Amino acid sequence: MKIENLKLKIVVGYLYGDLMNIYGDTGNIIALQKRAQWRGMDVKIKNISLNDQLPTSDVGTQIDLFFFGGGQDMAQELVASDLESSGKGEIIKSEVEKGVPLLSICGGYQLLGEYYKPHKGPQLTGVGLFPAYTEAGDTRMIGNIVIESMFGKLVGFENHSGKTHLKKEAIPLGMVIKGFGNNGKDKTEGCLYKNAIGCYMHGSLLPKNPKLADWLLQKALEIKYGKDIKLEPLDDSLELQAHQKAISRFG
Amino acid sequence: MRLITAIFIGKLIAFLTKFLKIGGGSAAPGLYALKIDPNLVEKLSQQIPKNIVITGTNGKTTTSKMLAHFSRTSGLSVIRNHTGSNLERGIASALIANCQLPTVNCQLDLGIWELDEAAFNRVSPKLKPDLMIFLNVSRDQLDRYGETDTVVNKWCETVSKLDPKTTALINSDDPNLAKLKKYFKGKAREFGKKDIKNIKLNGLKGSVFELKIENYKLKINLPIPGLYHIYDFLASFTAGITLGLQPKQIISSLKSYSPAFGRVEKLPFGHIFLIKNPAGATQVFETLAPNIKPTDALLLALNDNLADGTDVSWIWDAGFESLQVTVNSLQVIVSGTRTYDLAVRLKYAGFDPKKIIIEPELENALKQARKGLEGQLFILPTYTAMLKLQSILVKAGIKKHYWEEE
Repeated sequence: MKIENLKLKIVVGYLYGDLMNIYGDTGNIIALQKRAQWRGMDVKIKNISLNDQLPTSDVGTQIDLFFFGGGQDMAQELVASDLESSGKGEIIKSEVEKGVPLLSICGGYQLLGEYYKPHKGPQLTGVGLFPAYTEAGDTRMIGNIVIESMFGKLVGFENHSGKTHLKKEAIPLGMVIKGFGNNGKDKTEGCLYKNAIGCYMHGSLLPKNPKLADWLLQKALEIKYGKDIKLEPLDDSLELQAHQKAISRFG
Repeated sequence: MRLITAIFIGKLIAFLTKFLKIGGGSAAPGLYALKIDPNLVEKLSQQIPKNIVITGTNGKTTTSKMLAHFSRTSGLSVIRNHTGSNLERGIASALIANCQLPTVNCQLDLGIWELDEAAFNRVSPKLKPDLMIFLNVSRDQLDRYGETDTVVNKWCETVSKLDPKTTALINSDDPNLAKLKKYFKGKAREFGKKDIKNIKLNGLKGSVFELKIENYKLKINLPIPGLYHIYDFLASFTAGITLGLQPKQIISSLKSYSPAFGRVEKLPFGHIFLIKNPAGATQVFETLAPNIKPTDALLLALNDNLADGTDVSWIWDAGFESLQVTVNSLQVIVSGTRTYDLAVRLKYAGFDPKKIIIEPELENALKQARKGLEGQLFILPTYTAMLKLQSILVKAGIKKHYWEEE
């Protein structure tokens, strides 16, 4: 069967959405869902949390795109240990190696690095997907953020005390124009590994950065259907005005 | 002497801000007076026989206004930070305004103080309250208060040090608050759905239900709509009877209760519903949605000033989708410093983007919304947009300044 004749389907895996979804991160799920639906695709949001398993059979996890939001310290501890003990962390990592796209924000980004060292309590082992590590800092880095990236300018709002340091081989998502970014020092923000993105940008991020949302959808479809896919363009005038307005006010 | 100087300066600033029409004098007098005498709130509030503090994410102003109404109609003389300035400076300003010089006399029976989630920790030890009310906690302005865990943990620390003679009133339906009982050594009393049954919602007019607290069994006709206001009522009713007010008197005074400014405030051409965080906004949408008619209009205004929270991510956690179901044919206008963020949110909630009218300037947005209006206009502003709206309405001669309302 030709792909053109097939209704495209996309399954978004919402990692620990019940525990890790602060600062409106759910807006990213809404954006992915709507932008796929507006193009006539079938979208399913699959919640994957503490008691769930990711299938590892020959057909893979059946997840085409992962999203992982931010959480409070207590939630973060639970989630870190579950990622390790349930094996989900390793599975997500091998999916990303295959090219499956992933977006992680704040707490989710931190847990996908090598480790997260909080203020109190034990160091949390990360999944080791991003060549980066995070240590809690003394000051909160709060405010609007604008960065320059391969997706053009990206706008959002950051609120974190964890300082993330990229290792030598790591590629940042972008460079900070306004705001703090990974650690408030080296001007980098986020991390890009294959088709996986980690960053500190709430806002929510995707609704106001439609180019990035579409890149994630496109990568998901390309990997799933094994061929180049061109997404039908949408009327993004409102989204781009919100984007532009944020750049002109804060950038 | 320091206290008298502080009060004098505070009164002077209050006079000047009103005289020069730069504001209602609800924060600035307290702010400067506290610089002269940092213990002003402690000193003045202890002259009042009873003090009550109210905190929580949503419902502080309504609960405090309702309790003040119950107390006044029962014959008590009440002071409160009625403008919603719920930091220490707001309380200081209210105390200063009520204080006579040079005797530093406050002829009052009761102080009702709403405190925001953070101010509660700093100011309650100074107020030494007889009663403290915990309404609820949910995500709100994380850029200011931090995460909800942090908020409750700090409250626990604060109440563990308060005099056990204080009584705590706690919403038993909010699981986040259960922890407080472990840390507080005094008496804790709970209110919640256990106290009521047979709720009937009566559109925007309000709700009717049966209340059973202690030996009282009463039929309540609450003149403000929405389930969330039932909690505010329960909190103020329970506080009222704890103070020794007569339940019958409380119930009959409900008839003459008028909502706090911006909180389901009635206008000649519609209503104002303050929205400021995901839980509160979602409750407003759910209350409003079944009552919107096709001839009505909707004006939403999102600001990102400090008092609104500079992070507008919260709109993505608020259920704008429930508004969309009924109002797709309506005139919808968006405004505020974050107009476009709001417009995008509405688009993703299912509103037709071509029908969303964009007007960042609030005064123009209001004009546009009222033009050719056949039904009602529902205005849903965030906090500073609501304040701006108040001054626009005053300027247009539609209402009085909110600080003149009490």
